Amino acid sequence: MRKLIFNYVQTHKGEILNDWIEQMRQQADERTFTAMSPQMFTKTSSEFIELLISNFTETEREFQAKLTGFAEKIVKFGWPLNVVTLGLQTFRQIVSDGMRKDGLVDRDNFMEFVTEFDHWMFPLNDAIIASYTNTWERTVSLQKIALQELSAPLIPVFEKISVMPLIGTIDTERAKLIMENLLNGVVTHRSEVVLIDITGVPVVDTMVAHHIIQAADAVRLVGAKCMLVGIRPEIAQTIVTLGINLDQIVTTSTLKKGIEEALEMTERKIIEVEEKR
Amino acid sequence: MRIPILKLHDTLLISIQWELDDQTALQFQEDLLHKIHETSARGVVIDLTSIDFIDSFIAKVLGDVISMSELMGAKVMITGIQPAVAITLIELGIRLEDVLTALDLEKGLEKLQRELED
Repeated sequence: MRKLIFNYVQTHKGEILNDWIEQMRQQADERTFTAMSPQMFTKTSSEFIELLISNFTETEREFQAKLTGFAEKIVKFGWPLNVVTLGLQTFRQIVSDGMRKDGLVDRDNFMEFVTEFDHWMFPLNDAIIASYTNTWERTVSLQKIALQELSAPLIPVFEKISVMPLIGTIDTERAKLIMENLLNGVVTHRSEVVLIDITGVPVVDTMVAHHIIQAADAVRLVGAKCMLVGIRPEIAQTIVTLGINLDQIVTTSTLKKGIEEALEMTERKIIEVEEKR
Repeated sequence: MRIPILKLHDTLLISIQWELDDQTALQFQEDLLHKIHETSARGVVIDLTSIDFIDSFIAKVLGDVISMSELMGAKVMITGIQPAVAITLIELGIRLEDVLTALDLEKGLEKLQRELED
């Protein structure tokens, strides 16, 4: 029976492919395919069908490698998972319809056909979904790492002075990262003053303030001073309204003023050179 | 094993090289206070560079030692606190508010000297 199905699929490859593309166009969501050019779609579709067939002909490992490659590709194209499963169902429908029409399957051996076909399709289905989700998860985790790298950079601007510009909302997880980066940076750059620039932080609530105070305390423990710069009028208002006490931290309105003050703390200053060249 | 306490002019120098257990920490507290009394030192520098883990009891003892030394008229400077230790201390709510800190021993001694001169 397996051979019968395989032979049928092998010989009617072209027809199946055409039918499949036709049906997929009708059933699947419009926007899924508008992103792709028709040639691209046809190419990818034929690859998909090839892949299904290769499950018969090739060894387990080769098939697995091919499958992973294909999954990566469709994730990149942005095909949703439901289109992939729909594709599998459609393929199944087409093959079983075709074989019935050709009289290869009749009332007697229908049960056998269904069982055999399921044996083939189920593991395939699992494999495709597993490899699709794996690829997807990997993409997400890569993006998460990229986001984390951008999250809390410490920039040494002068000897003994470093700046950490913060942009975007601060949650507990990010605050932890900020604290770690801040302390490790202070130790490796041997900074004496660190400036936390919150110009790009939209809201400072009690929790954010708490995290900042903790970070400032920790910085003091490792032997440096912490300054909070870039406090906008709104932020100043909220801080006072919420009754947050930032007495122990030196604060300034802009990064520029902060740097000047930090230079003063380390007994240096910026002077203008008089002579002109 | 006891922690050695070195005398350098009018300051005492302690470098903690290994993780303290409770007994050693208490012994250290005792030793240091006696030493301050003996030498009438005006400053104490405790270097924690090689410590990368601290538990709540040790942290508490450390905080106590600092307050006690200050009571006896010696300024305490802690140097070389590792980031991980700083985070632990903050999370435990031990803020060591009045203590002086510095990045390393060299800077610590310098800062303490300046502090003692004022």
